[in-house]
Amino acid sequence: MSNKIMSFWQLVSAELKAIVADKAIAVTLFGGVLFYSVLYPLPYLHQVPTEQQLVVVDLDRSSLSRRLIRHADASAKISVIGQVTSISQAQSWIESGRAHGLLVIPEGFRRDLLLGKGVTLSYGGDASYFLIYSAVAEGLVTVGMDAGKQVQLLGMLAKGVAPKQADLSLNSVKINSVPAFNPSLGYTPYVVPGLFLLILHQTLLIGTGILGAGQWRRKGYWREVSPLQLVCGRISAFMLIYLFFSSFYVGFCFYWYQVSVQASLTLVALWMLPFLLATSAAGIALSSLFVRRDLPTQVLLLVSMPIMFVSGFVWPLALIPEPLIWLSQVIPAVPAIMGMLELNQMGASWTSVMPKWLQLWALFAIFFVLAWYGVTRRLKPAVDETS
Amino acid sequence: MNSLVALIRREIQELWNSPWQLALVSYIPILSILCLWWLFSAGLPRQLPVAVVDSDHSQLSRMLTRKLQANPVVAPQNFVDLSSAVTAMKQSQVYGIVVLPYGLQRDLITGHSPVIDVRYNSQFLLVGKLLSSQIQLTLGSGLLEVAGVKQLLQGVPKSQVASHLSPVTSQTTALFNRNNNYVSFLVPPVLVALWQLLAMLTFSNSLSRELTPEGCFAAESGIWPRVWAKIAVFTPILLMHGGFILALLYQYLALPVAGSLSLLILAQLAMLLAVWLLVLLVFFIMRDSARMVSFGTALFAPAFAFMGITFPVHEMPMLAQWWRLIMPSSHYVDSHISIVSYGVGWETIALQLTSYWGFLCIIPVLFWLSRRIEKAADAESNRQVIDADLASKNSVADL
Repeated sequence: MSNKIMSFWQLVSAELKAIVADKAIAVTLFGGVLFYSVLYPLPYLHQVPTEQQLVVVDLDRSSLSRRLIRHADASAKISVIGQVTSISQAQSWIESGRAHGLLVIPEGFRRDLLLGKGVTLSYGGDASYFLIYSAVAEGLVTVGMDAGKQVQLLGMLAKGVAPKQADLSLNSVKINSVPAFNPSLGYTPYVVPGLFLLILHQTLLIGTGILGAGQWRRKGYWREVSPLQLVCGRISAFMLIYLFFSSFYVGFCFYWYQVSVQASLTLVALWMLPFLLATSAAGIALSSLFVRRDLPTQVLLLVSMPIMFVSGFVWPLALIPEPLIWLSQVIPAVPAIMGMLELNQMGASWTSVMPKWLQLWALFAIFFVLAWYGVTRRLKPAVDETS
Repeated sequence: MNSLVALIRREIQELWNSPWQLALVSYIPILSILCLWWLFSAGLPRQLPVAVVDSDHSQLSRMLTRKLQANPVVAPQNFVDLSSAVTAMKQSQVYGIVVLPYGLQRDLITGHSPVIDVRYNSQFLLVGKLLSSQIQLTLGSGLLEVAGVKQLLQGVPKSQVASHLSPVTSQTTALFNRNNNYVSFLVPPVLVALWQLLAMLTFSNSLSRELTPEGCFAAESGIWPRVWAKIAVFTPILLMHGGFILALLYQYLALPVAGSLSLLILAQLAMLLAVWLLVLLVFFIMRDSARMVSFGTALFAPAFAFMGITFPVHEMPMLAQWWRLIMPSSHYVDSHISIVSYGVGWETIALQLTSYWGFLCIIPVLFWLSRRIEKAADAESNRQVIDADLASKNSVADL
């Protein structure tokens, strides 16, 4: 009995040695996980686009239009970089990338307002870049509304309405719109939680894939144990490594990149367990399809972008075609990412994410059987050769 | 010349005999391009579920709910109490909550200013921001109608009501993408990122075939004729894929394009050449198929994030802006937007292509590396000949 336990630990340590000794795996696992934890969020570190360059076409040249421009410049989302005399000039500024938006103040802006006629301000933002466009539009709409209210207030005061009442009638209903779960509207809290689980998923699949693909045609410790033992040993070895990686990602990186965290440590650990188990089993099952060591990386590289978009944290699930969602349910990362977001970022209760958790366990069971079957198939012919 | 033709023929032969390479240039790109397009094919986010908690049950609150219903982006779902709405939002069944408070209509009539609370899910930033602005717009315009009635009651002439309510109206135009279509915003860069991965993989696979024992480092003509042959074979194939992407997006789906597609193909060609240079550099440094692919993956997998489409380039930290320049796709995307959105001519594109100058510095490095490797390979092959002699002698001795 004791001999058996010993041999299991020997198998795990042999696995760990094989992982560390293999340069391609070590680079993917240790290098990749560390490198990506810095590289992927790097473009988003400033979180929110601010001070978008705006060019103004002021056809009115009045005190009010100048005040409007100053107010626009004061908005955190916009910085007025210059004035031009015609819209076509503004267009050339936008096309050359000098400006990303334009504001047109029509002729007679101040006069019409004082006469009580309505005026129309025109805004344009470069919608080739949505974040820029929304920043420009939000900034200018606020500025325009503010200018309108000020004119209204002046008009009311001139008519003899009491200031307090004037203020009340201008803001008769307050709409209190507040973002939930990601209060700063930052970009890293939006991208990092889903993306990092995906990185764990992909590197784990690649690691198991390369390890298996390199072994099937050769001799080694993996032929000295039964396929079932090999699968169990391999899962344990990778679980051991990914225990550290997940702690680093879900623990430190989430904190470092200011991801909002709502679940307790126990719940997160309980969530990661079937995810990692299912992923490593899936990796071993996949590895039995390969005999060339450079193939797993290529295949998994190509599927990583589709998996990212189908998992629903970038593009809403409600808009993804149903058949794609059904197909994607067999990928451990898909239920894991959505469940993790609900549990950890949005603070859902455990019972509400339970179905996804059970789905991960079911995936683990299926992939475990497949892995067992695949490894048995892969190791069989060689046994015949030797005998 | 003849030898080059022979090498090209050999290259095509190898492509034909390698199932994975053949898959990489045939059905894998088509499947993944169509798949990624299908994913985003909805294009315009609409009918996003939003919880409405109506505690007022007044004519006003029902009118506001109807207004929300009329907005194509919002699909209001009625919830009886706040807690169940919050639970639904936490499970991402709804993307926002609108609370119409008790006494909304009464407070409005009696001159207290009631508060309508809106919460939107900003964990899903894209949906959250859209819903936030749409809900505010809808509620605002609904309330404006009520305020208009009030104005009429106060004796304001009907013709002046509108300008009294909002003296400054605004006309917001989304330039270059009129209806904020996500297909024309997201799909081209996503497909370009995919295309770059495919180019990297096919070329490095083809190069790593030269690493086999019968490979070419020791061949008397050197590695370069074979590299030229590979470039001659894979450039047209990959350009065909690029052309397929352009045809799908701008011909079949008929997304608006301001410039000429031939300029886009020129830009794609420049990008491909830059990818070839990078892959060659990795090849000469690594000279191991698995490590080459790993390195290429590390380099090109995050290309999409660095393109500056989703998050603007000038908002990235300096380091990210530099790193971005290493990837050919970021250079290409700049030209792509210039052509598709701004419709610039070839002069501007020629100017933009000069941004690839850094890649030219790779060329001398490549020559230097290949010279060194060829020398080493020559020495190696000489030694191998000797080794083989020794081995044969030993085996004779064993016998």
